[in-house]
Amino acid sequence: METDDLSAHIHSLDPAVGLRAVGALHRLAEQVEAAQVRAARQQGWTWEQIGDALGVSRQSVHAKYRE
Amino acid sequence: MFERFADDTRKIVGFAMDEARCSGDKRLGTDHLLLGALHDPGPAGLLGVTLDQARAAAARLDRTALASIGIDAHGFERVHMPSRGKKPPFSSGARSVMEGMLRYAMDQKSRQITTANLLLSLLDREEHDPAAVLLKELGVDRAGVRRRVLSS
Repeated sequence: METDDLSAHIHSLDPAVGLRAVGALHRLAEQVEAAQVRAARQQGWTWEQIGDALGVSRQSVHAKYRE
Repeated sequence: MFERFADDTRKIVGFAMDEARCSGDKRLGTDHLLLGALHDPGPAGLLGVTLDQARAAAARLDRTALASIGIDAHGFERVHMPSRGKKPPFSSGARSVMEGMLRYAMDQKSRQITTANLLLSLLDREEHDPAAVLLKELGVDRAGVRRRVLSS
């Protein structure tokens, strides 16, 4: 799908589908985050480096994912 | 109110919390209460669906919605989510389900809030509610289930 098409398409979406997509994006983001934080820790990244990459504080990422 | 929950009802709320966390949701929604109820063979039998079927239906709804905005999430496997961090608070719909359960228990002059009360309250959810959407996707005959719950 071309970018312009997608943009027009999103504006014409049924809100039941569009709002579900937003929720699904949040869920997908959380899942990808969990997998990637784990991978980064295994590769020796510090909590600070991970926090900076995610745009959140070292403390918040550590509190959420420390083993 | 929670102290009036029967043991199995209390467990269902715990399972619902796990479902919310594992899916990466920030709120415990009515759909998580439905998934939580399906951990219990009683409600699962009354609804005629399994937990796995319901999880698969929820994932299907997500994939279809993502595809509609040009994102292909096929083949993405769910990962193990951290159990730390704060508990997701109840959505306003989930709080309404709790209030509905209490009303059903009071109508029956029951001291305990049972899984039947929970199911009836979930079946009351209307269009656009996440649990109602999931029941529809699963093809659950809501009127039929209501009759079975009331006669059980």
